[in-house]
Amino acid sequence: MNVGNTLLMELKNSWRGYFIFTLVVIIIIGGFIQIYPSVSSAFDDELDGSENIELDMAEEADFVVAHLSWIDVPNANNYTLLVGKSPQMIVPVDRVEGIHENEYSYIIPLEDDEQEWYFGILAVIDDEETRTEFVGMESNVERISVLEETFGIDYSTIHGFLSVLWRMWWFLLIGLYIVYISVISVSKDYEEGRMDIILSKSISRKQYLLEKFSVVALFTLFLLSIAGLITIASVHSLGELSNISASTLFITTLFSYPLFLVLIAVSFLAAVYFEDSKKSVGFTFLIVLIQYGINMVGNMSENLEYVKPYSIIAYWNHESMLYGEAINWLDVAVLLILASALMFIALRIFEDKDIPT
Amino acid sequence: MGKNIVIDIKDLTKMYGDVVGIKNLDLKVYDGEIMGFLGPNGSGKTTTIRTCLGLLKKTGGDVNIFGMDSHEDSVNIRKRTGYLPGDFGLYNDLKVMTILRYLLSQSGVSGESSIKRLSELLELDLKRRYGDLSKGNRQKVGIVQAFMADQDLIILDEPTSGLDPLMQQKFYGLLREEKEKGKTIFMSSHILAEVEEVCDRAAIIRGGELQVVEDIHSLKEKMGKKLVIDFENGVEQDIFDMEGVEDVKIDGRTATMIVTSNLDEVIKKVSQQNIINMSLETFSLDQLFLTYYSRGGNR
Repeated sequence: MNVGNTLLMELKNSWRGYFIFTLVVIIIIGGFIQIYPSVSSAFDDELDGSENIELDMAEEADFVVAHLSWIDVPNANNYTLLVGKSPQMIVPVDRVEGIHENEYSYIIPLEDDEQEWYFGILAVIDDEETRTEFVGMESNVERISVLEETFGIDYSTIHGFLSVLWRMWWFLLIGLYIVYISVISVSKDYEEGRMDIILSKSISRKQYLLEKFSVVALFTLFLLSIAGLITIASVHSLGELSNISASTLFITTLFSYPLFLVLIAVSFLAAVYFEDSKKSVGFTFLIVLIQYGINMVGNMSENLEYVKPYSIIAYWNHESMLYGEAINWLDVAVLLILASALMFIALRIFEDKDIPT
Repeated sequence: MGKNIVIDIKDLTKMYGDVVGIKNLDLKVYDGEIMGFLGPNGSGKTTTIRTCLGLLKKTGGDVNIFGMDSHEDSVNIRKRTGYLPGDFGLYNDLKVMTILRYLLSQSGVSGESSIKRLSELLELDLKRRYGDLSKGNRQKVGIVQAFMADQDLIILDEPTSGLDPLMQQKFYGLLREEKEKGKTIFMSSHILAEVEEVCDRAAIIRGGELQVVEDIHSLKEKMGKKLVIDFENGVEQDIFDMEGVEDVKIDGRTATMIVTSNLDEVIKKVSQQNIINMSLETFSLDQLFLTYYSRGGNR
């Protein structure tokens, strides 16, 4: 194997493309993470001031007691409790005024105990003039956004945000480029008429294809490492490295590698089969989009989850890895076996075919 | 010229679907010779060469090079073989030297002295980008890469395509040099004069089938020359009834014939007439096929 020379030649011949795409990845990955704070607040479905209130629901024989306690507001003369069945509470169903302690037990009739209840606390403050100050709201139901309900991820956390970023962009962004450079690295040798000269040197067809595979695989590893480091730097700049460790970010990024090895193998298979860059790129783009589509459909609802194993994306468990769960080596093995099988087929096709002039 | 067989082609057939590329081809190329491989476009020259190198998969028959099977031992064969394709491209954005260095490394050879020597001989600027080169200069790059690894066998497909006459002569000189070093050269061409100039033997292929393998001297003798004479008062056909004169045609005052031998006798006989003009032409390859084979030559 002469990977060093082939790598050098590929870089010399296509360095502009590699360089520009590496920059694109850096900008997109780094830039996207920077919008996390605004996305986080948009997806934050906590009730306003809920951190100021503790709610404990206790069921008795004929009723339910909602025991509320809240922070002590300086200079508060008394507190008002608003009770409603929606978070808007424009027209509360009940209102309790003149509460002098910062706790209160509200009685809910048993026939209503399965409903959603919202409790708001206002502090009445007598300074130079009487005014009210909002303390907070709390509810007996856990608030889940539509997206969280659909995908089961809390997008307001850095874990959730990165998870959706990778799910939506990673496979498409990196995948489409990787298949493109993989196809081109072989197809251009056909189309620009240098395959005859290259294969007349003392390398076998197998060696030629494996060298090309190694070059793209090495570049992909480099790209993922850069993307991992950029992710860490970008998350660090947001002060979120306390919530998610740098090693978790790097490992999660790097473990998408087997996924892309499969795409590289598919691309080489297409390149040697079609011997034409347009057909090969079209075919591999279609494969990437179909795989992406299957994964999206599988994530839409539990009823459609059965389609997910048909997408290779399902074998990169970035969500569980982000939450610090152990790496699923079986999934890694599935992807590596698939990549090897596809490369084996590509090699057989390449070795058995005539080289076109 | 030694008698060791370097290329041994036996009953080689290559089909492209139902279309015949080459059919039952038998050919031997001996150690240290320059073998010309002649044929018109589409005759099967390139198919034969590419099948020998394993770039095309043979349909039937055997090719042994250096005693090794061209399919099973293709890498070992290519370690000892330089090749110039008839039609090729390289990396347009890269400098010639970068490309040649890479190709040399793929041959498992280090050192650049041969690149420099060959490029100086062919006046090739190694610092220029391949994409900026003219057709002729690109052909020079192809020639350099075929010879630079100093291999035992050089296979060349239409090597002088795009070269100017001066450069063609330099190239023929290079071939002779390599032959003196003991290299075996197998080159295809459709230019008869080129084969005459440098080759020891020539094989002629047409329609995928080998027509003849001859040493150049015999081929030239068999082929003859085209003699055209313009007489002042016309001439009778029977004056050309002599050995070595064929295909005599009289058109008005012009007589055309093929002279394979006895040229001296022909000249003496016709000089008794008043001659206005006379020309003696070597056959082009196309003419060779139209005349030599139509005369039931060595088929």
